[in-house]
Amino acid sequence: MNAIVSDWKQYICRACGVIYDEEAGDPDSGLAPGTRFADIPDDWECPLCGVSKSDFSPYKPTAAVSSGESVAGASLETGVVIVGGGTAGWAVVETLRALDADVPITLVTACEGDRYRKPELSVALSQKKTAQSMIAEAATAAATRLRVRLLRNTFAVGLSSSLRQLRTTSGPVSYKHLVLALGACPVMPDALPKDLCWRINDLAMWSGVQRALASGPKRIAVIGAGLIGCELAEDFARAGHSVTVLDVNPAPLTGLLPEKASARLLSSWTSAGVRYKARSTVTGITQNRDGARTIQTANGETLHADLVLSATGLATEPRLARAAGLRFDNGIAVNSRTLQTSAPNIYALGDCISLDGAPCRFIEPIAGQAEAIAHAVLKRPHPGYDHQPPVLCVKTRSLPILMRGAPSRDLQWEVVDEDEQQLSMAQYRDGALIASLKVGQRSLELAS
Amino acid sequence: MMESAMLTDNARVERWTDDAVMAHVERISGGSLKTAAVRIDEGYYPLDIMAALGQAGTLGVHLDRHGARVGLSIEAMQRASRECGATGFLMWSHDVCGLYMEQSGNPALSGARLDAHAEGRTFGGTALSNPMKAFSGIEPMMLRATRVPGGYRINGTLPWVSHIATGQYCGAIAGVQRDDGSVSHEVMFMLDCDERVELRPCPVFSGMEGTSTWGVRLNDYFVGEAQIIADPARPLIARIRPAFILLQVGMALGVCQGAIDSSLQVEPMLGHVNRFLSDRPNELRAELDDAAQQTQRLARTPYDGSKDYLLEVLDVRARGSELALRAAQASLLHQGARGYLMSAAPQRRIRESHFVAIVTPALKHLRFEMARLCKEEFPA
Repeated sequence: MNAIVSDWKQYICRACGVIYDEEAGDPDSGLAPGTRFADIPDDWECPLCGVSKSDFSPYKPTAAVSSGESVAGASLETGVVIVGGGTAGWAVVETLRALDADVPITLVTACEGDRYRKPELSVALSQKKTAQSMIAEAATAAATRLRVRLLRNTFAVGLSSSLRQLRTTSGPVSYKHLVLALGACPVMPDALPKDLCWRINDLAMWSGVQRALASGPKRIAVIGAGLIGCELAEDFARAGHSVTVLDVNPAPLTGLLPEKASARLLSSWTSAGVRYKARSTVTGITQNRDGARTIQTANGETLHADLVLSATGLATEPRLARAAGLRFDNGIAVNSRTLQTSAPNIYALGDCISLDGAPCRFIEPIAGQAEAIAHAVLKRPHPGYDHQPPVLCVKTRSLPILMRGAPSRDLQWEVVDEDEQQLSMAQYRDGALIASLKVGQRSLELAS
Repeated sequence: MMESAMLTDNARVERWTDDAVMAHVERISGGSLKTAAVRIDEGYYPLDIMAALGQAGTLGVHLDRHGARVGLSIEAMQRASRECGATGFLMWSHDVCGLYMEQSGNPALSGARLDAHAEGRTFGGTALSNPMKAFSGIEPMMLRATRVPGGYRINGTLPWVSHIATGQYCGAIAGVQRDDGSVSHEVMFMLDCDERVELRPCPVFSGMEGTSTWGVRLNDYFVGEAQIIADPARPLIARIRPAFILLQVGMALGVCQGAIDSSLQVEPMLGHVNRFLSDRPNELRAELDDAAQQTQRLARTPYDGSKDYLLEVLDVRARGSELALRAAQASLLHQGARGYLMSAAPQRRIRESHFVAIVTPALKHLRFEMARLCKEEFPA
């Protein structure tokens, strides 16, 4: 076959875009393969739309336009998307808006997103608060004030970092920067059924407990004598309920407090009316016909309660991070200076993160973390987040506890000062103070 | 005779290597299926093509007996759906019916009968749209079963069941009624569409007309031991639910891929104006690849019973719907009038993509279900 014969040409129908290829012909309308366009009879019609031969023009394919030349991309200003409408999520919104009036912000939150002071949950029941009275600013009002697109009652279900796409139960959301402020979730041993045990980690959960207790004094079993369990147990007792705390340890706040200090807490509970069942592992909970719960423990005890509250710890839900391939180590692993996750353009803060493998679930660090993230996202200079162990204030009002520094489990606590009202202790490493502890308050301090 | 049949089966199965299956589906999709796509859209039920796909292994490789290659099964469905979404849907219906048969553990269903099904020598689909929605509390169960000696009598009507015909079959579920009319549990059974079953023509749909979809009316239809898939039905449904949903992603991604093909097809002539459109082929390509990777990763553990796994399956299924919708819409905008011709693929794919997004589980149901799974449980 010589070069001239094989030099086939193509013609395009200007009306419908059909291409006549000389090599292929158009057998359906009687044009054999190899029929030159010039040889087609003038009364031939476009096989698709029926226009005439004269409506065809020579067609030369050009190279495809690459996506880089796409102009649509310019309009896709997707801005910052924040997942989580708790203290951490709103802190990032506030900080971003303070630095930049225009950056588009979207807040995706599984809850109502109303703003409240979370530490208040530990003392609110005895102060006769309601969920409504605890809301400092409604989510919709905050969103209007801060010009935020708010997706409430929306769960984040998928994340593709390479596409910068978050998928939610309200549809996919594109982002330029993503901030995860997912919080942590109460974890429960298998022996505690979710439909029989309350947990308190946000306003909605607190509100459920508050409603369940509204009809009068109740018998309450608190399982777990950590920070949350201790604070809530006292608050419930103050509110007039009969409270029993169960824990696997010999004393409340074991692991955090030295024995001498936890003994003081225990004795203060006696006067506050909180019973403590030491070394009690719950093996099962059932519901009786009258709605009361029966709690079985490993040492054969049976307890009856109208309401069971599980306070057995918090953990970060790893699903979203894992699905997106983010590094996860007791929490979403972040750079301790930049708060960036293992993926570019994704940051995280608050209860959901871990720094060098350790979570730090307190309110205090959140502001500094939000500052660092907001500056990084807006490309403003910032020295970076500087993590300091937060001051720990246990809101056990019968015996306030204050801890500073970073105590170590392998160091002894030494008594600094001790009397009936107050116990002061400290930990030293090579002579340097690394942590201090104050249990109780002198009446002078109380007065001030 | 028996021995030679077994040898043939073995030989056939050995031929179903991953590469061979994909090579065959490529040949069939690019050949007879591509040619037939418009006709199928107009109502032709392509059992000849289904038979070829079955012979090639695409309708059997997801089964445990053939290596539980769910990923391969999805890839094959994706390739066929790229040419014709209706055929992709038939493949899915056929695939899950095979899954029911194998998982039933009923020798009458999981033996020679399943072999014939898996190889595309016989055909059957699934009537689980209604029960799946019923299990999620979205609508009531349409079929009712009453216990009779040796089995059940089934009554009720299902509005539309695909991939069935007289002589074919489908997996179905009925609520078992106590004497007082209350439902004790559900029974899952193989509904053989014989002379006892009234198949009623459905109204004309805007798409998927070649899927042989019928209204099914059962009047005291007797189900015996040989037809029982699961009694009670719920444990089996819980076990296969992720695979049931994940397999559909092949159809969704195929429709999306076909739409991208159509957008790219006109790029040489229309690229200079099409660049003003959103959802450009390259953007969608990146999303399709990401979703396909996620699908293939999930397909490695189709019987993972965890909540996290199910959530991710629902997520990728929703992605599939969203991508198919966007890609199909974009392809018509990219092609313009030529894509709007009744014979053109883009307008057909728009209707196919709508089907992908409304067939059970519909996009709205997926989001509903994901939200339900994400919610923590508390005391009442």
